[in-house]
Amino acid sequence: MAANKKTQQLARQLFKLSLVDGRISAERVTGVLGYVEKLQPAHPLAVLKIYQRLVATELAKSQAVVEHAGAVSDSLLQTIAASMTKKYGRAITASTRANPKLLAGLRVRVGDDVYESSVSAQLGTLAASV
Amino acid sequence: MLTSLFLATVEAHGAVAGASEPGPLESIQHTLDSLGFEWHYIVFQGISFLILFGVLYKFFIKPTIAAMEERQQKVESGLKYAEDMKAQLAASQQETATLIKNAQLEANKIIEESRKTAKDFADKIQKESSERANDQFAKAQQAIELEHKKMLADARSEIARLVVTTAERVLTKKLTEADRASYNEAAAKELSSV
Repeated sequence: MAANKKTQQLARQLFKLSLVDGRISAERVTGVLGYVEKLQPAHPLAVLKIYQRLVATELAKSQAVVEHAGAVSDSLLQTIAASMTKKYGRAITASTRANPKLLAGLRVRVGDDVYESSVSAQLGTLAASV
Repeated sequence: MLTSLFLATVEAHGAVAGASEPGPLESIQHTLDSLGFEWHYIVFQGISFLILFGVLYKFFIKPTIAAMEERQQKVESGLKYAEDMKAQLAASQQETATLIKNAQLEANKIIEESRKTAKDFADKIQKESSERANDQFAKAQQAIELEHKKMLADARSEIARLVVTTAERVLTKKLTEADRASYNEAAAKELSSV
């Protein structure tokens, strides 16, 4: 139990070392990984798993995954990224992922938050309200 | 003995009257002699008769009388016993009749109470059965109503699913890329304004 707590503390410390101005820095992440590989702390695999989860969560917070059906222009993506950056108060980049099940429209996922405006969602709302 | 007394009386009367003429007593004596009447035979026969009578009385008549009296007493006691028995029988019959009458009254009372109890029990059973039937009827109605509502909900859900599925298929075929692009722009504006 104590070892598990120490592992989590170490992973959090490594994660904090990976941030530069509140954002994940690739150079810092590379340095952290080299540090772990070189010094081999106790339970290195568990430390790396927790570190990976923290980094992925942070990256997801700074990335908006835009699922779409149909064409999406770059200007549209930039508009969405700007809107999310303004909303969350941090720099958020947008990436696309095609999802034909939406029929038409968009679904934006930022971390655990999901924003959707699609034909599929409207049909689901219609089915639920009947 | 009476005869001796009679003869003594006749002799005394003859002595008083005199012996000059034959009196009535001599004429009676004369008549008895002519008939062969002997005084000592008469006395002897009288004594024999008395002895015979004494023996008969002691050994036959007296026991017979005693037996007859005993039998008479027995008969009288039997009659009395019979009368007592008759009276007891009458009293017993009367008592029996009274008991039968009381028993009949008691039986009628018990029958009446039994009828009343049976009627009350039947009414109670009927009431309980009626309440139970009404309860079951109400439960059945509720179950039918719930089933009806569930069926309607299922039908509504199935219809909605079919409508959505059909709409999805139609939209998949009918929506053009231009339509999707236009919808995406509108969606982006909507999401940006959130």
